[in-house]
Amino acid sequence: MSPALEFRNFGLAHRRPGAEEVLLEGVTLTLVPHGFYLFVGASGSGKSSLLRVLAGLVETREPAPRLTGELIACGEPLTGDAAAARDKVAAILQDEGLLDELSPRANVELALRAANRSVLLAPGLLAQAGLVDPPERTAQLSGGMRKRLAVARALASAPQLLLCDEPTAGLDAAAARKIAELLRQAHDQDPDRTTIVITHDHAAFAGLCEGVLVLDPMTRTLALQGPEFRVAGAGVASTRNSTPEPAGLHWLRSCLLQASAILETVVESWRRLPPFELGQVLRTAARFSIEPALFVAIAGAVIGGLAMFFALRNNPLQGGFESALLTGTGKVSTAVLVPLLCGFFFTARTVAGAAARLGTMKRTNQIAALQMMGVRPADYLLTPLVWGMVIAMPLVTLAGVVAAALAAALAAKAVSGITMLGWATAYFATVDARDVLVVLTKSALSGYLVALCCYHLGTGPKRSGAEVGQAVNAAIVFGMALVLAVHATLTFAVYA
Amino acid sequence: MHRLRYLVGSVTLVAAVIGAWWIVSMLRNLDNLPGLLLQIEFRDVRGLRAGGDVRYRGVTVGTVRSIAIASDGGKAVAQVLLDPTGAAQACVNSAFWIVTPRFGGITGGATGLDTLVRDAYVTFQTPAERGSALVAGSLIAGREKPPPAADPETLEDIEHGDLLMSVLVPENHGLRPGSAVIFRGMQCGDVRAVDLAPDGRYVEVKLRIARKHRQTVTDKSQFWVARPTVTGALFTGFSIADVSALLSPYVSYYAEPGQGVIVQDGWRVAASSSRPNIEPAAVPQDALKQAPATAPPATDDLVMVRITYAAIERDTLSADDPVHGEGTGTLFLDRAGRAVVVTARSLVDGAYWVDDGFAGDPEIEDEQIKVLLGNGTVLRAGRVWVDPNGADLAALVLENAPHDLGGTPPKRLHFAGAIAAPPASLAIRRAGPDGAELPPVALGADVVVTLDEALGAAVTAAEQVIGIYGRKAPHGTAPTVIALELLPTDLRPN
Repeated sequence: MSPALEFRNFGLAHRRPGAEEVLLEGVTLTLVPHGFYLFVGASGSGKSSLLRVLAGLVETREPAPRLTGELIACGEPLTGDAAAARDKVAAILQDEGLLDELSPRANVELALRAANRSVLLAPGLLAQAGLVDPPERTAQLSGGMRKRLAVARALASAPQLLLCDEPTAGLDAAAARKIAELLRQAHDQDPDRTTIVITHDHAAFAGLCEGVLVLDPMTRTLALQGPEFRVAGAGVASTRNSTPEPAGLHWLRSCLLQASAILETVVESWRRLPPFELGQVLRTAARFSIEPALFVAIAGAVIGGLAMFFALRNNPLQGGFESALLTGTGKVSTAVLVPLLCGFFFTARTVAGAAARLGTMKRTNQIAALQMMGVRPADYLLTPLVWGMVIAMPLVTLAGVVAAALAAALAAKAVSGITMLGWATAYFATVDARDVLVVLTKSALSGYLVALCCYHLGTGPKRSGAEVGQAVNAAIVFGMALVLAVHATLTFAVYA
Repeated sequence: MHRLRYLVGSVTLVAAVIGAWWIVSMLRNLDNLPGLLLQIEFRDVRGLRAGGDVRYRGVTVGTVRSIAIASDGGKAVAQVLLDPTGAAQACVNSAFWIVTPRFGGITGGATGLDTLVRDAYVTFQTPAERGSALVAGSLIAGREKPPPAADPETLEDIEHGDLLMSVLVPENHGLRPGSAVIFRGMQCGDVRAVDLAPDGRYVEVKLRIARKHRQTVTDKSQFWVARPTVTGALFTGFSIADVSALLSPYVSYYAEPGQGVIVQDGWRVAASSSRPNIEPAAVPQDALKQAPATAPPATDDLVMVRITYAAIERDTLSADDPVHGEGTGTLFLDRAGRAVVVTARSLVDGAYWVDDGFAGDPEIEDEQIKVLLGNGTVLRAGRVWVDPNGADLAALVLENAPHDLGGTPPKRLHFAGAIAAPPASLAIRRAGPDGAELPPVALGADVVVTLDEALGAAVTAAEQVIGIYGRKAPHGTAPTVIALELLPTDLRPN
């Protein structure tokens, strides 16, 4: 049987602007299969970074860590194209990455589906993790229950290598011990499984592990110690050797990565267009249609009504050429003005929520969890967003245009006593099917681009809540700019 | 709250879809709306637009649905939808035309000027002899300009008493319905119609002379079509007559005062198409009599006026009853200079003496009080005061009284204090039906004057009015003298 984990002269370094932080170098180590190992080291020494490398959770929009040597997990190399090893590795991240919008059971079922296993296993896995009757909403789970659910979800893919990052953090001693015992039980049920647990809580795992993997920040190497090994002192990372990297090169690398990320988002939007979950797509489309409908309709009615009111009331010809005014106002309102403003209102109403949701998911490792489960974030997040906005924006724009037209009819009646027949004849005199087609095209294209913008900015790297807020702001601004650009371009192209 | 938001949003979307469907179906079914869809051909639609109005007598009765070129390219076809009101007015012999600004030359004037600042619109006119009704989809030949018959639509209505006559001229020089008829430079009527005689030998111009001027037309009157004429010779100089007809020709006539007899309706007279060589007679000397520069001196006598009262008494269970009364009042000027007439309340207040038969208050409406002065002038009067204690005494104020109107001198009115003369010298002063004062009647034990003869009359003693002749009780017939001293101070002279 191949080793569970094998380091061959392995090195790991972060690329930073103007510097390169070396975490590991020259590591040569072999972990035998079916071992239950603790992974200890000073805070900030690179344990979590190594875990993310092992789990394949490298941020693609930033310069990737520099890996040297060889790293082999379950017989599959993890450097280069590590797709073959991904199915054999699962990780429980420090803040679990549970999908709060799904129920606890649905979290496990999603992981089972991603691993091509039957969803009927979900209750068994939940019971195994001590969640016989979990609450309906994941957000209602306590800290201990969230850890248990994370364990159940990680076991759904039956990994050969299970990585856990501080699974007992934030728990009291009794609860921590229960989680540790749960991990051990899960480990023992699969003879092929190797478990590595990053922790500072030796007491919780006392008597449960076969060895302790120690990261020495001074030597930047790994060593396997006996189960009774304890880290001396507070365990704070010491100074690191750094190798300067030109800042310009780092900036250029970042720009190229951003560009490729945008391109990747566009390509993903087409490649993953067939819905991964049709129900989720329909729910998203319904939500994006229904939630802003009243807001946009009222806004459209106000715009349409005021445009007609002022056109007739401030007519310099004192009531002259009213049908011409009606026709001009009707054309510009229906084909240009109201659809554009409805696009703005729709974007303002929906993008903030969607970008905030994505940013929070990114910040709380929910997207990383999806990747861990083998679910492509584009399938789960981008495809519903694209479908939802491409369907919803034309529909909501239609509501705005209709409301604007009816408000214009009322304004025409109130200001000049124009009959409904006269209004309809003049207002729509030059509006034809082509205008409706152009409006729908503008709205759908705007919706598509706004969805891409929202996804790209929302799923970018997030290290703080402030970055989530910045992403929301950027999504609104760029979303409106895209709406304006699409409407201006298509309007000019069709009518100019 | 979450569900409510979704419910409201769903309802909005459904309403938007229904609204869109309604608009689309309305636009698709515009041709099927109640009304009459017609196609009107014009050589030139001259600014008409889809959505423009169709008007009848200035009222919008339809909409222009579309404008297209006829298949053969020879005409433009406007598709119009008349609403039921308009459809009821249109018939096969209706004339449709497009109203746009038009200038018909010096004599034709300008029309359609409102479309300088409004959209052009289609209008139509239906002759008095209506044809059969139009059917939907009819293709009608529109007129390129308004029909001549459209002009009488703008003429004033003929009033009772107007003179209607015809002038036959050898040639029409731009006369058209509405052209003026001038006498001594003043418009006294208008041309109603201009028609060529059936045999083509003359032109018949039908005129209307206003009632107040019809006595100026006699069988000796000479008529002509006024148009500028130049007279004179190279060495004597030129003069141009009737320059005012340059822009708009008119019919003029002249008759020497006192010649001929007044003509009847239907009078026909031949006229020349050029001005006859006549000069209007000079202004008569009697017209030069100067009007008095100041108001006529106030008379020293009493001023009696005739009062006519009319009203309607509303009855719930039976037909309404007219209320009518006539009598006398005494006119004087109060301290504010108003013309006040004091008279019997039972003469000018129907509610005071009319009995509705059920011992209730009668419902009096439409009261009118007219005062006939001695010189024949009739003025309206308003009741401004009645005796609050129920005595048969009321005061009227004349409306629009002439500023030179004289009244009874204050010294002839006795409002308070002892009467200088003994009661045996009482007399009644009253006005007759024509406003002129009747001879005084001495009021004594052997002289009986009924209320019908002297209601409201002034009762005098020693040449002073001490009261009026009225009823003793509101509904009674017994006369009595109501003292003038009951009149409030502000209605008395200084």
